Amino acid sequence: MDFEYTEDQERFRQELREWLRENLPDGWQAGERPGTDDPEESVEFLLDWQRTLHEGGWAGLHWPEEYGGADASLLEQVIYSQETARVDAPARINAVGIDFVGPTLMELGTDEQKERFLPKILSGEELWCQGYSEPDAGSDLASLSLSADRNGDEFLLNGQKVWTSYAHVADWCFLLTRTDESGPKHHGITVFLVDMDQEEIQTEPIHQITDETDFNEVFFDDAVAREEHIVGEIDEGWEVAMTLSAFEHSMSDVFSIDQRWRSLVEFCEEHERDGKPLAEHTHVRRELARLHTRIQAGKLTHYRNVSKQMETGVPGPEGSMDKVFNNQTEKKLENFARRLLGANNALWTDGPDDGQWVTDLLMPYGKMIAGGTKDVQRNIIAERVLGLPKDD
Amino acid sequence: MDFRINDEQRQMRETAREFFEDREVLERARERIDGEAVVDDLWADLSEMDYPALTIPLEYNGLGDDVLYLSLLLEEAGRVALPAPLPETLAFGAFVLDELGTDDQKEEFLPAIADGEQRLSFALYESGQESLPRDIQLAAAPTDEGYRLDGTKTLVPFGKQVDTIVVAARTGSGTGMDGISLFLVDAERVDSEPQDTLDRTRPTTKLHFDDFTVDESALLGTEGEAGSVLQEAMDRYTVATCAMTVGAASRAVEMSSEYGSQREQFDKPIGQFQAVKHRIADMWMATQAARSLTYYAAWALENDEEDAARAVSEAKLFCSEQLTQVFADDIHNHGGMGFTSEHDGHIYFKQAKAWETFLGTPTEHLDRIADSHDL
Repeated sequence: MDFEYTEDQERFRQELREWLRENLPDGWQAGERPGTDDPEESVEFLLDWQRTLHEGGWAGLHWPEEYGGADASLLEQVIYSQETARVDAPARINAVGIDFVGPTLMELGTDEQKERFLPKILSGEELWCQGYSEPDAGSDLASLSLSADRNGDEFLLNGQKVWTSYAHVADWCFLLTRTDESGPKHHGITVFLVDMDQEEIQTEPIHQITDETDFNEVFFDDAVAREEHIVGEIDEGWEVAMTLSAFEHSMSDVFSIDQRWRSLVEFCEEHERDGKPLAEHTHVRRELARLHTRIQAGKLTHYRNVSKQMETGVPGPEGSMDKVFNNQTEKKLENFARRLLGANNALWTDGPDDGQWVTDLLMPYGKMIAGGTKDVQRNIIAERVLGLPKDD
Repeated sequence: MDFRINDEQRQMRETAREFFEDREVLERARERIDGEAVVDDLWADLSEMDYPALTIPLEYNGLGDDVLYLSLLLEEAGRVALPAPLPETLAFGAFVLDELGTDDQKEEFLPAIADGEQRLSFALYESGQESLPRDIQLAAAPTDEGYRLDGTKTLVPFGKQVDTIVVAARTGSGTGMDGISLFLVDAERVDSEPQDTLDRTRPTTKLHFDDFTVDESALLGTEGEAGSVLQEAMDRYTVATCAMTVGAASRAVEMSSEYGSQREQFDKPIGQFQAVKHRIADMWMATQAARSLTYYAAWALENDEEDAARAVSEAKLFCSEQLTQVFADDIHNHGGMGFTSEHDGHIYFKQAKAWETFLGTPTEHLDRIADSHDL
């Protein structure tokens, strides 16, 4: 057991720090996140950032070198997460492509698919979305029904997806479809790589409680998918989807929570109540200490999970704990932060940071659902780690 | 950075688990609750395994392992509520001897501890004092041959079952951790009375010092300057109790999982109901989080990391605030059975409750964490 970083790892950190110092967008220093209200501008901004990352060689950190990646170790990825959280770097808009679709194609895609898609995923030239959930298939993903019917060497897609992040700007979709209804529900699912640029696919933005519209309803009306774009075998898409889930390991938020805690401490040092800084009030000091303890617990547990993954090579069900535990911490932190505002808590864009505080408060409530609700995650822990009986 | 335990540590843990089960240590904890004297026999068993030698330096016949290694052993000990003063002897007693002892004192005590012939405990708390021993009042006045102790100590773990007690006293004036001296006192010489405690697996004792004299050779280190070593000894002992609590919590999660898989109600195993299943998942998460904090605290102490004191307080805070809930949930998961003395849950619950406020209440540790951040 050792918590020291090696010299090589520290060198990696220094290189990354320097690169971030020189390449972060203007005004994006730690804690400042100048944004825009215009969704299109915002997407352009994030695509620019994706290109900058790619040019710097940081886009596909965990991708093998043969596909243009840096072949980074898990610990280097941890360091990357720490450092980008530390400076509050912009989000990675093509995370679905780079973290999930790319690695899945490397494992299960044909040579043609790899050649066609991988370079453009990495460069950010083509943006990806993930067509999973349907109105009647969320947590029970296998009950999906969007149909793909053979029509020569093409397939016609009919049905609907929902909660599809960035579908409105995505170029391609990693789409789960139903190709056979006769068997058990885990059979008869086929995964297609689908070109989003066709009139037969329509997206409708969903207005989120954060006032943002990142995700969508997506309607397929005789849209076309091609046979050569099937991933894996026809009707055997469930295994493909599960391969992707394994890559969807906890991209832990724990480092960004740490950063938010530090911002909160600064806020408490700068704002006074009853003639002294908030940070000097006993109950504030103690709550900050309690939150830090939880953040530290989440971070150290994440390190233990990463260490285990280095040993086994595959992410385990422990990732579910990263997700649930840190999400709860995030909510506790945001709630405490807002109690400190007092009555001003009721303000949104007229409040502190042009409304960023409120948006940050709301975000954890969405994260708790995305990628499997906390209830699903606790089922995973109870059943796969502790051996409790499955639901009927 | 690598947060795995290594093969040697893993093997030691497996051996310890088998050994504690083989010797029916949990059964003996139950006997201890019923008032039976089990410590001597148990100590002979532990010595057979060389466990009392674990952290004693090699030059004194010990095995020279570190506090992290000890914590891994104590995690196993916690699963069976080991009713013996192993953390007191090693994490506290042997540590202060090694840090402050003269060559003669080390020569006298350390090999004897390693051989299983000396058990140690500590006397910190005094009557009317609920929290960290900052306000030690017991007076130690210099005499021609040594010191005269006057005052009363309380909550001395295994005070009746150990050979030597490290007594914290105030020499001269001073407040807080200034002016504190530690003395090695022969347990048999002290006027002591057993106390009935919530956790009967780990009995405590009240000690009366009334014109009690000790030789100069009883003093550990320089007069009045034991404060910082005392603080580190308390930290080491605190981590040791966290490790035992984590081990106990793991056992509680297992018991709840096993029971949840077997016990049927409404024609289903109760563990199939999400109300139960999710509670057990939460128990597991809290235990994992506490384990991470405990390992890190042990590692930080051993490596003199800057944040070691904070790490100890964070481990302790989390165990106190979150793991007692795990033990409470385990009782609840077992229904009426959980509230019987037959079910093991109460043994762990009571121990955790006793430790919740021992060597620092959660509030005091919160303050220490806040201080460490310069808040």
